Amino acid sequence: MKYEAKPLPPVDLPELRQVGKPLRRVDALGKATGATVYAGDFTMPNMLHAQVFRGSWPSARIRRLDVSRARALDGVACVLTAKDLPGGRLATDMPGQTGQKQRKGSQAPVLASDRVRFVGEPIALVAAETLDVAERALELIEIEYEPLPGVYDPLEAMKPGAPVVYEPDNIVASWKIRNGDVEAGFSEADVIVENTFTMPFIDHAYLEPEAGVAWMDDQNVINIRVCTQVVEHFRSIAAAVGVPHNRVHVRGTMIGGGFGGKEDITVEIFLALLAQATRRPVKLVYTREESLLAHSKRHPFIITHRTGVKTDGRITAAEIEMVSDAGAYPYLSPYVLLYATVTACGPYRVHNLKVDSVSVATNNPFTSAFRGFGGAQAAVAYEQQMDEIAKALAMDPLEFRKMNYLETGNRNAIGQKIESTVWLEEEATRALAALGEKTPDDGPLKVGRGFATTMQSYGRIMWFHDTARSWVGIEQDGSVVVRCGAPDLGAGQVNSLCQISSEALGVSLADVTVYNSDSALTPLAGTTTATRQLYMSGNATLKAARMVRAALVERAAQHFEVAPEEIDLADRRAFVRSDPDTSLPLADLAKMCAADGIKLQHLALFTAPFTAPLDPENLRGDLFPDFTFSAHAVEVAVDTETGEITLLKSVGCHDVGRAINPTAVEGQIQGGSAQGIGWALMEEVQIEEGVMQTPSLAEYLIPTAKDLPQTEAIILESGSGVGPFGAKGIGEPALTPAAPAVANAVADAIGVRIHELPITPERVLAALETLGGREQ
Amino acid sequence: MQPKIVSLNVNGREHHVALAPNVTLLQALRDLSYTDVKNGCEKGDCGACAVLLDGKAVNSCLVLAWQAEGAEIVTNAGLGTMDNPHPLQEAFADSGAAQCGYCTPGMIVAAKALLDRNLNPAEEEIREALSGNLCRCTGYGQIVEAVQMAAERMQEGER
Amino acid sequence: MLPEFDLLMPETLPEALEMLVEAAPDVAPLAGGTNLIVDLRGGDPKLSKSLHRPGVLVDVASLDELRPIRRENGHVVVGGGVTIAELLEAPLIAEYAPPLKQAAAVFANPLVRNRATVGGNLADGSPAADTAPPLLVLGAEVELASREGTRHVGLDEFFVHVRQTVRRPDELLTAIRWPAPASGSVGAFRKLALRKADAISVVSAAVMVEPGEDGRCEQVRIALGAVAPTPIRAGEAEEALRGEALTPETIAQAARLAAESIRPIDDIRGSADYRRRVVEVLVRRLLSESANQRVSE
Repeated sequence: MKYEAKPLPPVDLPELRQVGKPLRRVDALGKATGATVYAGDFTMPNMLHAQVFRGSWPSARIRRLDVSRARALDGVACVLTAKDLPGGRLATDMPGQTGQKQRKGSQAPVLASDRVRFVGEPIALVAAETLDVAERALELIEIEYEPLPGVYDPLEAMKPGAPVVYEPDNIVASWKIRNGDVEAGFSEADVIVENTFTMPFIDHAYLEPEAGVAWMDDQNVINIRVCTQVVEHFRSIAAAVGVPHNRVHVRGTMIGGGFGGKEDITVEIFLALLAQATRRPVKLVYTREESLLAHSKRHPFIITHRTGVKTDGRITAAEIEMVSDAGAYPYLSPYVLLYATVTACGPYRVHNLKVDSVSVATNNPFTSAFRGFGGAQAAVAYEQQMDEIAKALAMDPLEFRKMNYLETGNRNAIGQKIESTVWLEEEATRALAALGEKTPDDGPLKVGRGFATTMQSYGRIMWFHDTARSWVGIEQDGSVVVRCGAPDLGAGQVNSLCQISSEALGVSLADVTVYNSDSALTPLAGTTTATRQLYMSGNATLKAARMVRAALVERAAQHFEVAPEEIDLADRRAFVRSDPDTSLPLADLAKMCAADGIKLQHLALFTAPFTAPLDPENLRGDLFPDFTFSAHAVEVAVDTETGEITLLKSVGCHDVGRAINPTAVEGQIQGGSAQGIGWALMEEVQIEEGVMQTPSLAEYLIPTAKDLPQTEAIILESGSGVGPFGAKGIGEPALTPAAPAVANAVADAIGVRIHELPITPERVLAALETLGGREQ
Repeated sequence: MQPKIVSLNVNGREHHVALAPNVTLLQALRDLSYTDVKNGCEKGDCGACAVLLDGKAVNSCLVLAWQAEGAEIVTNAGLGTMDNPHPLQEAFADSGAAQCGYCTPGMIVAAKALLDRNLNPAEEEIREALSGNLCRCTGYGQIVEAVQMAAERMQEGER
Repeated sequence: MLPEFDLLMPETLPEALEMLVEAAPDVAPLAGGTNLIVDLRGGDPKLSKSLHRPGVLVDVASLDELRPIRRENGHVVVGGGVTIAELLEAPLIAEYAPPLKQAAAVFANPLVRNRATVGGNLADGSPAADTAPPLLVLGAEVELASREGTRHVGLDEFFVHVRQTVRRPDELLTAIRWPAPASGSVGAFRKLALRKADAISVVSAAVMVEPGEDGRCEQVRIALGAVAPTPIRAGEAEEALRGEALTPETIAQAARLAAESIRPIDDIRGSADYRRRVVEVLVRRLLSESANQRVSE
């Protein structure tokens, strides 16, 4: 089937001076020359080195814990166990209670006292003069466990009589959607297609393991230098450590990759406790093995789709069941499940819809945020289901989808009206067309193509009442300062604020200094998660910058005796639009304002829409500020004798509303899809009876440069986003369509579907075998 | 075993430092403040710690510091600075190849080793040369472009 | 942090051998360190039984005596300290050991190749050591030197079990040698892994075919990696082809025999069943390649 790009309607996006340009990011050269400092690069005088003593059983009572020999070791400054702590629990800082059956916070103890529930659970902390001494101290900690029955399969954990991970039961969260009349819908259907899809634990595998340095200063403030996606954790840290909120100062660093894995508290509380206990700076750096053990994983999901369709392709009913493995502690499981639930049927009109989802505790590693946050797992299932239905109807997979795509003005699965542009067909056709001529089969190598079209929210759940603050000021020499709490994950959060403010104030990137990610010194802008930062802090920064701009423009208008609309700012000057030579340098203008007492620094608050929580028994209402609609297409070659899969071509096409920096957007599409491809083909945290079998990057495989082709990124700009300049978010959406696109391509190549991820060579051969069996 | 004074030549500077035998070159370099050499796994799986050892790109986590005495060690920071960046560093900055930047120093070291041998590498050769350097942010696309860009600029005689 | 150990830095081979015998048995030579340093660091408690964690290391990485690659009396001799990168670049290897060059090309990754040595790869004794199948089909023998003297051991007798070889603690693997292949010989190596670079072999295979008269095989050697406690030769398959012509039928039968002869394990990378199936495919493909190469000569 040859695809031609569906023409786009004309969109009038004005050309801007900074925004929309592929400018070199302000943090790029520092990173390229190795000048950028990361959390683990800091040292301080008189610093101690910390280590965490972790449990080795997935489910056990701690019968005896004796740290006396560790404490006595020469060079050990401090050993802490649960007995020594104020009794804090780790909280995930999620404002808003969601009702019964939704467990608030993570309920994970900072240090286990009487029980451990997953392998690697922290039990004690050591601080010593050197890392070597700290490591030896760990070996001197004596512990006796009484193993308890554990449960390692969420389906088993739901059964009566299953071991309870923690009271009252193993059901961590559940959500329901009830729309229309599915029974009637199924009876109307000509064909009913049913499939179950499963996907494993996945690790974020950021290159930078968790790290930080903390110290208590002369004001009794606990300072924590740490790579974190959330500086607002200072509140939970303070509560855990037993100090007022204003005595914890989180100084976030440039993060060496997050993807949701540094969204929950990692090393902060350990560092704070040790810094407080020793009154000395303390450093903690995880090894890779410890990082793999210690931080969250992507939720495994089991998703069953049952869909009724007419022969012409219209969906008449859909029934979807979702089970996620919440692991040993809830963390963000209820919300990951919510995201999965509300996008369970995909970007399609399904009037008769029944979704039942449940997140279940096990003694497996705990699961929490990972790029896509449930929406990605939902897409792995719904886009494969759509291809299976198309196959059952003998329809082209895109033609079938076109019968059912949501359009602007439609309501989604929970009845939220889609306000933004929806260019699913435009994206799918572009991505498919960009694959070019199909590579021919070659002997045992069978070539297949697949695509996926998805929707992924950007901006947080609106009932969390999300806000962001940003402060913009212009100095007397015309240079600009931005202060904004937004952590930079590596995707260019700081640079975006630079480009936005430089646009508004008529300066270049080099004229702006951004201070970010500091819980005390920068206005809080919220988490760098949920693809919200461009929307939230971008809008806040734009708002603040425009307030500064307005003051400058008004003063300049006064100076030149023209109306304010006549004034523009560019190239560090204020000038009269109709007569650009009539201008003055911003520096002079700033000095004039200062002399007149005109305020040139503004703090702006941007609020997302505030809504009320939805009913978990029947989700209905507005949940997210907006969605990004995306497509990804791939071509694969499958060696039908060995099962090996080679990715030949890869194209992502996304409507990002407005690309603040096209190079950065391209990087997100290439990088996000790479993670999706790894998920589809090779990544799996293998766990047996709660014990991780893939302890390092030699066993947990992520794609290398040889595993991926050059990925084409096609950026569409509808201008219909709610972010600054009409931007949408791309961080998570970049990943969401990639894994199902690969799964669909493999199914196309070999004529049979593999329902589990990762699609390993072994699974390919097994699937081909069933096909061969059927043909006999 | 007692530490001994080891002479390490790093980015053209001679360091004399007392080191125990079980200290890796990665640890020694970072303790000498060459924090551009990153620890991503400490067992040769990720390439974040790559340095040039007598011109060859190696994982410094797998070299003992004592073994590096007498060798010429070059880290990414030795190739160029913010004021005077190497064409590779410029290209990585221009192409978007540095997102979180954590893999970047090791990646550039591996790319430098490639360009030292071959100033006109094909895409496959670039991917091969970088196959020991993991990146989780970029999907390698802009990294490959950066190496191609740098190669072109270097051919034009920039450095 | 690595555990404490003594590190001795000899300047000559005799010095190194002296140090080995003095420190034996709790001693190991350190060359590229790409396995040894990983073992010393620890990391995975499940592997702790087969980790090599000696109390004394003797650094042989820069011993000149271990570096040469040369022809000698109809043999190719490679010093134990030759790196995988050097194997990849060496004209003598390209000419006299194509399977070894192919293995070097896909060995780990370029950074590791610059340090890992062929002697270290063999002495480490992993069943998945990628230099082993090629050297087995080349009919290689290793030279083990100690202060007492030198002995030669055929590579097919060198491996005892997972990460255990016949090398005594006081011995150093100083060289590997094999007869220059007979004129017209062809050979190849292939590995199968779960990603395209830098991955431990799920299975690997090498073949070497020495032509005889009338298009029949004088000698066929087939070696397999990652399918047994050590790298192995597929003796029955080799036997079935000796004196036969390489036809699709004989090749298919040999491949089947190779697959049936192995006892692989299930592990995180694959099941025994899968390994058997793909060994058959790899051996068949390598033999077919060899047959086609000969035809085209």
